[in-house]
Amino acid sequence: MLRCCNHDLMHRLNSHTQPPRNTSLLALIALFISIVMNCGLTPAFAQNDLSVGRKMLLEDNPGELWIDDGKALFFQVRGPKQASLERCDFGLGPGKLEGAAARLPRYFADTKRVEDLESRLLTCMTQLQGFERSALERNAISEPASRGSEIEALALYITSRSNGHPIQVSLDHPQEKAMYKAGEYLFFRRSGTNDFGCVQCHGEPDKRIRLQDLAPLTTHRGAQEVAASWPAYRGAHYVVRTLQWRLNDCVWQMRLPDLKYATDYSIALTTYLNRTGNGAPVQVPGFKR
Amino acid sequence: MHTPQPNYPLNPPLKHQNHQLRLALFGLSLCLLLSACGYPDANTTRELAERMVLEAFSGSPTHLKRIEQDPSQQLCSRINNAPISAADASTVLETARASIQYPASGVLMGDWKIGDTLAHDGAGDRIRNGKTEATTRNGGLCQNCHGLAPGEINVGNLGPSLTGYGKLRGTDPAIVKYTYDKIYNAWSVMPCSNMPRLGATGHLTPTQISHLVAYLLDQKSPINQ
Repeated sequence: MLRCCNHDLMHRLNSHTQPPRNTSLLALIALFISIVMNCGLTPAFAQNDLSVGRKMLLEDNPGELWIDDGKALFFQVRGPKQASLERCDFGLGPGKLEGAAARLPRYFADTKRVEDLESRLLTCMTQLQGFERSALERNAISEPASRGSEIEALALYITSRSNGHPIQVSLDHPQEKAMYKAGEYLFFRRSGTNDFGCVQCHGEPDKRIRLQDLAPLTTHRGAQEVAASWPAYRGAHYVVRTLQWRLNDCVWQMRLPDLKYATDYSIALTTYLNRTGNGAPVQVPGFKR
Repeated sequence: MHTPQPNYPLNPPLKHQNHQLRLALFGLSLCLLLSACGYPDANTTRELAERMVLEAFSGSPTHLKRIEQDPSQQLCSRINNAPISAADASTVLETARASIQYPASGVLMGDWKIGDTLAHDGAGDRIRNGKTEATTRNGGLCQNCHGLAPGEINVGNLGPSLTGYGKLRGTDPAIVKYTYDKIYNAWSVMPCSNMPRLGATGHLTPTQISHLVAYLLDQKSPINQ
């Protein structure tokens, strides 16, 4: 199925580059269509020379190789309790993955907590499969150029089952509201030896650290771009990374201490991000430099 | 089950926008009247979020000290960049002015060549797996956010471009001191600026800052060519 999608993309890419035979009118129309498409349909990254390369990478994304790994891990009977993850409820019922990740984080009645994808995975892998939580946390973020971690592959597979579904984070439950407000508070909270909060880099459109684009995460559009594209293949690391990894790396650059894996701090920021990004169709794996 | 929507409109159609905006404003004022529509109030949110901060990080007491906010950081953390009161702004400004220390030598304009290297060094002071980055000194981080020498492409734009900074300003003692103070503690010039208080937080030493001043102001510096 993946192969088919990739092929389809390649086909479209190829047909796009072949000029229509000798007909200047057709060429003009094609040019017009491509201008309209570039302006209207592609997100912010269609603006400069760097974006051309990024777009090409997105269309041939090595991250897709991790989806099959994640799928195999999901259905495999594993762990001290010898269970698969088919009974794991990501919010739409046990094993129902279609569109489920697009609605995370959300409140779960069984744990009485708001959980994002990664914390929900920890819940299921400990409760259903009997894995030890501390070991899962320790191995969740893999070494660069490794085969990646189980959680990275699982997170990608589960999110890929929401591809095409618009992000739809609800704040109906009081705990979801509280989580969102906490995330908003944390986004603007400055501390450390560099006085950084998230907003210092992600508060305005069209900003960069050196050549790296920074998404404006207080805006609908900026948050959509980010919320819909994790987990993502990170080119410089040759592995698939999750949103928790992204937060860790931000916190590292902010000169803050080590961020523990999947705490409420991360869930709150993720709730704020994804809620702000509501409406964007999920498209994973994303591709990051 | 939800059907995928490939062309989800990022914004509602234009003709409904005014109507929706009015509706939203009406809802918002109603919410304010009924006190926040079931959202927790600001104090409850702060308590919850601060508890999250305490639980989220690991490391030595020295490392964990970094997640504590000093009074100025608290005043400068404003949800949705809500404007700061004049009184709070002057508190931040006065605290910042009082923090500034100068090199023992009294020389505020050091060596632009050392400053050049520092301005292009974005490393130092980061923490991973419980260890602080092993560097003999921290970088100045300037390149991350500011345009520097003419023709440099790999520069950020979070702050204003500094290309030609000294060419325009000369090397009068007043501008030397202003530039030093701005780098040592940016909030002494503009309270709650996005720029880190590089000297006041201990990220850079007074001598390092004097080299950055020279990089910006020395007429021989590449930034002024």
